Amino acid sequence: MGRGEAVTLGRGEAGVAVRVEGMTKLYRRYGRKHTVGTLKSALLSGMSRRALSPDASVPALVDLSFEIARGEMVGIVGPNGSGKSTLLKLLAGIVRPTRGSVEVRGRLAALLELGAGFHPEISGRENIEINGLLLGLSRRQIAERFDEIVRFAELEEFLDAPLKTYSSGMAVRLGFSIAAHSDPDVLLVDEVLAVGDEAFSHRCLEKFAEFERAGKTILVVSHDLALVSERCRRAIWLDRGRLQADGPARETVTLYRERVAQEEGNRRQAVGSQLSAVSSEGPAPERPARIGSGAVVVEEVTLLDGKGRPAGRIVSGEPAVLQMRVRAAAPLSDFVFGFAITTVSGQSVFGSNTDIDGFRPGEFAGEARVTLEIPAFALAPGVYSLDAAAHARDGAPYDYRRDVLRFEVTADRPVVGVWNPQHRWTFAGAIRWEP
Amino acid sequence: MLPLRRAWRNRALITALTRRELAARYRGGLLGYFWSLVNPLLLLAVYATVFRLVFTPRADVRPYALFLFIGVLAWSFVSSALVDSAETFRANGPLLRKTTVAPEVFPASAVAARLSHLFLALPVLAAAILFSASRGTVAPGVAALAFPAVLALLALTVFGLALAISSLAVHFADIRDVTSNLLTLAFFLTPVLYPVTSVPERYRGLLRVNPFSTYFTALHDSLFFFRPIAAAEWAWMAGTAALSLAVGALVFERLRDSIAEEA
Repeated sequence: MGRGEAVTLGRGEAGVAVRVEGMTKLYRRYGRKHTVGTLKSALLSGMSRRALSPDASVPALVDLSFEIARGEMVGIVGPNGSGKSTLLKLLAGIVRPTRGSVEVRGRLAALLELGAGFHPEISGRENIEINGLLLGLSRRQIAERFDEIVRFAELEEFLDAPLKTYSSGMAVRLGFSIAAHSDPDVLLVDEVLAVGDEAFSHRCLEKFAEFERAGKTILVVSHDLALVSERCRRAIWLDRGRLQADGPARETVTLYRERVAQEEGNRRQAVGSQLSAVSSEGPAPERPARIGSGAVVVEEVTLLDGKGRPAGRIVSGEPAVLQMRVRAAAPLSDFVFGFAITTVSGQSVFGSNTDIDGFRPGEFAGEARVTLEIPAFALAPGVYSLDAAAHARDGAPYDYRRDVLRFEVTADRPVVGVWNPQHRWTFAGAIRWEP
Repeated sequence: MLPLRRAWRNRALITALTRRELAARYRGGLLGYFWSLVNPLLLLAVYATVFRLVFTPRADVRPYALFLFIGVLAWSFVSSALVDSAETFRANGPLLRKTTVAPEVFPASAVAARLSHLFLALPVLAAAILFSASRGTVAPGVAALAFPAVLALLALTVFGLALAISSLAVHFADIRDVTSNLLTLAFFLTPVLYPVTSVPERYRGLLRVNPFSTYFTALHDSLFFFRPIAAAEWAWMAGTAALSLAVGALVFERLRDSIAEEA
């Protein structure tokens, strides 16, 4: 997976349209502002510096660095709250980075929200003028491009009607048309094309292609992954303010999709489900140690050796017993108990539950003890992690306790892998072994 | 002085925003711009009636209704511009957060919009002066030519204050209340209802501390008494305008970065 520098490698300084270096953005939280937050309280507290200084900082973007070459169309993907919109605002200069720098070369137009700058009471005509001025056009430039803007937006008949009579689709068309005709070198677009109709989206994409051919740089934030992977050359994936991947759009989108699927899987995870391997890119997703509704509580989990004694160490091939003490908050008729064993690196080794093994739940009330006996605990020597869970038959967890205990399996000789079955070698033919 | 430079660079946008403000306000109404004349006309009618029939005004300010009209028109510009500027960033939050607009344009257009209201009332004021002149109660003269200059300096002073108030209001929710209370107080400490000559000599120095006093005395001098304004008064007005702009620009520049985030 190539990082930013691989993509922009070899391009001269002149070809750089956007440069972000070590950029961190902390949003300040003024606790006082949202609770008391007045001049009076500031005066009463002595108008100290503290009154004006933030109580806490929330990182929106963390140490971000990348370059975008002139003429690139770059998609920015990531879940909600990952910092995509903040990134565009920083590039647009609406907010400033807390640390690091951001540099945009050339004329910039930002379309961060459709109809930001539209006033409902005045006509489309007047709104075009104000929006054009907001985008930095002069009155003359607006006058020159006026007809083209109106034509592209297909709003000739509605030009003198107040904007409040426009449909949202019409407002989208007008907003996009003005921004597109402001002749920017760098265009920032935040998730606005989703509002328009099919035909208009298509024309927007044509406009993007036209821009690309003209050597203009486009950054588009979108949840439409198909659009990003098809239309963008490159994509940047952000998660919780950090760069997760940056490279060819298809690859980045694929990685992002995998992560989304994986996290979705984790959320729905029931006992015995496959623990997917963690992507090498970025930090491992945090799985909560304990989730569930609490309808059943797994109070205690113990591992016993063959003699029924609690043990932290099992000899490979000897019997072992997994046991959990559970309590139902109220009597219930839908319940499954299960255990899963994983290696400490997260690879699933064994998992089963009462549902898989054919027990149909009748009723469970009060406290109970659930025991799973394993006559020959045939794990390879190593350290393992045990999950124990009580959940509904559809997988909805009552109490899923991940990594509830760890234990060691020992053997008198090493084994490759995780399984250490009873085994025996036999030989036929002319093989002789030294005694 | 950066905010002033930015405001000047964005003057076309400020003009457009001001026009939008006025247009949106009047277009909804049946009588359109006529409403902007109705309010001052009504005000004038009330003053003329009340001070003829109910109170007896001082002999040295006749016709008192005209005296009052000049002062109240100018004061309503000052007070409404400052109160509006306390709210302007909140009102324009979406624009600030979603466009690359320079935030200076909002206090500037708040002041410009209120100044426009004053301009729209000027025909009524002119008619009132001419009416009084025809009855011989005032004697218009060339001193009236000072009026635009006084008003310009007043507008600059108000803009300086508007810069400070608007940016502080982003951090302190009660700036609007503080502003309107101070304005109520200032209204009585400013020679709007009374000529400065009716203030006992030993308090006049105190009145001077209020930067608006000089402006209102000058406004009355130019449009009511039609007498020239002393050079010292001009210097004082120019000085307060410069000071107000400097302080306003300083406060605004300090808080500028947080405006788009907090508004």
